Amino acid sequence: MKKLELGFQWASSKPKLLLHRSSITTLRRYQLTAHGNCGKRKSAENWVRRSSRRNTNSSANSTRLNSELRSKQTCPKDYQTGVSLLFLLAAMAATKTRGSSFSRAVSAATPSLAPGLKCGPNGTVFLSSGIPDLDKILGGGFTLGSLVMVMEDSEAPHHMLLLRNFMSQGLIHNQPLLYASPSKDPKGFLGTLPSPASSKDDKPRDRDTDQEKGLRIAWQYKKYFGENNPNFTGHRDDKHEYCNDFDLRKPLERQFLIRQHVDCVSLQDSMNLSVLLDHCGTFLSQFPRNDNNSSITTAGRIAIQSFCAPDCGYSNMEWHMLSFIRSLKSVMRSSNAVAVLTFPPSLLSPSFCKRWQHMADTLLSVKAIPDEDRELAQLLTGYQDMVGLLNVHKIARINTQAPMILEATTFSIKLQKRRYLVLECLNQAPIDGSSGASYGTSGSCSASSKTGRLDF
Amino acid sequence: MAESVCRTLRDGGLEGEHAPALTIKDSIASPFGFDVFCHVLTQLSSFILAGKSQSRGLVLVAFCRSPSFYADLLKSKGIDVNSSNKWVRILDCYTDPLGWKFRLMGVGNLRDLSCEASSTGILCKDVKDTNKLYSSIIELGKGLVAEAKSRFSVAIDSVDQMLRHASMSSVAGLFSNLRSHGQVSNVFWLLHSDLHEVRVTASLEYMSSMVASVEPLQQLTNGQRDDSDKASLTEQNLKKGKFHVRFKRRNGRVRVMLEEFHIEQSGISFKSASSEEVTNQGLLPKVQFSLQLSEKEQIDRSNVVLPFEHQGNGKPIQIYDGRNSLMEGKHETTSVSAGNSETNEGSGGGEIIYYRDSDDEMPDSDEDPDDDLDI
Repeated sequence: MKKLELGFQWASSKPKLLLHRSSITTLRRYQLTAHGNCGKRKSAENWVRRSSRRNTNSSANSTRLNSELRSKQTCPKDYQTGVSLLFLLAAMAATKTRGSSFSRAVSAATPSLAPGLKCGPNGTVFLSSGIPDLDKILGGGFTLGSLVMVMEDSEAPHHMLLLRNFMSQGLIHNQPLLYASPSKDPKGFLGTLPSPASSKDDKPRDRDTDQEKGLRIAWQYKKYFGENNPNFTGHRDDKHEYCNDFDLRKPLERQFLIRQHVDCVSLQDSMNLSVLLDHCGTFLSQFPRNDNNSSITTAGRIAIQSFCAPDCGYSNMEWHMLSFIRSLKSVMRSSNAVAVLTFPPSLLSPSFCKRWQHMADTLLSVKAIPDEDRELAQLLTGYQDMVGLLNVHKIARINTQAPMILEATTFSIKLQKRRYLVLECLNQAPIDGSSGASYGTSGSCSASSKTGRLDF
Repeated sequence: MAESVCRTLRDGGLEGEHAPALTIKDSIASPFGFDVFCHVLTQLSSFILAGKSQSRGLVLVAFCRSPSFYADLLKSKGIDVNSSNKWVRILDCYTDPLGWKFRLMGVGNLRDLSCEASSTGILCKDVKDTNKLYSSIIELGKGLVAEAKSRFSVAIDSVDQMLRHASMSSVAGLFSNLRSHGQVSNVFWLLHSDLHEVRVTASLEYMSSMVASVEPLQQLTNGQRDDSDKASLTEQNLKKGKFHVRFKRRNGRVRVMLEEFHIEQSGISFKSASSEEVTNQGLLPKVQFSLQLSEKEQIDRSNVVLPFEHQGNGKPIQIYDGRNSLMEGKHETTSVSAGNSETNEGSGGGEIIYYRDSDDEMPDSDEDPDDDLDI
């Protein structure tokens, strides 16, 4: 069986679709084996008759015909590829409602949710992190009832970007917020919260809508269905988007800050962590979790910044801090809230650092990147726009034993147009064509001999 | 580089931002941190005097050297000391840090120390109380600069001495309060890293925006060289070394710079590094090949008309068999072009090139072709 040779050529400016005649007959064959009799399709007999016309020798025809028919049956692989090709197209044509075809059907009684919350698999509810890319990476957002920990890099303030977006998103959705920071005046930080990008600014999300607009199908469905293609466009944005794009240069409007009272706690004052724990407890009592899960009216957010900062009085009481985190996590489990806690791991002893990491449901870390590093610039595309790296170490999986395995765990943090936070996969810069490299030699694509850095 | 360090200090901080903070750290292998500190101090002083810097004055908290030492130092560098009470104040924590002499004085045994305190500074008698230290520093600074908007710099002689008497968290609290005070332009301090736990050094680095470390040119490893080599290395390390600076920039990136310094009679001098480049820690994770298309590639791809896309447009279905004859005389869609001809009045879109396997097939085999050849 000849293989289908369909391909795009990028070499010239006008991509060409190459089709060989033999491949067309193969296309035909696939179609016939998959469909059998289908509407106006010519039946297999017609095809056979036609091919037999080619050879004048009828006996040879019949034997050839038989052998081909038989060969069709003995080549299940080609049949299956043909069938799977069509299935793939059919699946793509249908509007995607579920993430995977193997997920359990959603039960009829979905809980009614406040805006800003989304149902997830296994009976969990998500709330947005404020960064659309991060929500996508985490499979929907932060799970209600989970503890998210972010390991800071003492050389870069990227954790503040994550916190700002998280807090702003909560205020936009009118979700109560508790903010604790080591500074004397945490309220000052609220002035730096970003505002969602207005629709007239061009957002960085344009490419998604293109994909939804219409799928280009290289098959003959149009002939049969006419012009009424199924409408693929996603739902129009309603007033409350699940996750907003935040413009980091625009401060949040005062109405959001006034509407929801933000509980600000200064960590410097609390010598005793139990006071802080009680405070969190009273805050979380506003969102108890009921077992019947009938409806969730509000969800809360807790943001604790730089928990073990050196200027806090308790910062050398490592066991106390660990027990605080554990107690916080247990209170979180019985409430409809998400807590984000950031800490600089370099200020902890290694064993405690590990213990803290194990406490987290979702663990992220941010890292600084060196400035004007020629080697990194050669190695990665888009190095100029990158401000840092984000690593996803662990993702909360509640009510399930199946882990979530990501394709990539490291993402670059970029500020598009200096305004929008974008997370992208790290991509290797294209190898210089003049060096004529095959992938075998790509290990030396960085000029230095640091092959250990590149890890496939 | 020492120049950029001093320049960053000179420029100070922006409104609403924490003031830049410099940690100078050294170790016994290359114990020249104090020389670097003095260098930075004199540079900053000359900037202040010349009026080039954001800060108008300097508050020096002296722990390990007496105020007179600093006066001599500035004089030796050619900085005008007579007007020094206009731009510098020294908080003297050297003479009587714990107030012992003061208490003994009360008994009448010692002469009055107040005459020793110069007009440029005040004496601090209790270094354990960091809150009091903070308020004294701020008070001195405000007294130095007349207007409420002007700023002053703060230099702390030795953090080690502070940490002897006060806890890490209170010292850290003092530094962060200094940095966030609206009138402080910059802060810098000296630290001997081998006197403390790693955690302490890490905390101070966490709180500073520039970390300058004084390192020996070559590390001495025990037991690997014989004595003569060791002696020569030590001697070398006593004359010069590496000056390694990490800047935390506002955009979140870290700039690393390296220089060599030499100790001379007059002080310390810096020159650019002659040896190998700064090696960054490999932090690269798995890097993938890009499977995304760039904008241009996406546009190009969307311009290719796929084989059956033109159907359903109301035009008659026309079966294409790759021969030119079918193309002439028919109203064709713009996207399909003859496979055999090279010239195409390309509509800007892509083309579909159809190679006939052979041209000598019987014509009748194509007379009744299948519908799916309608590309």
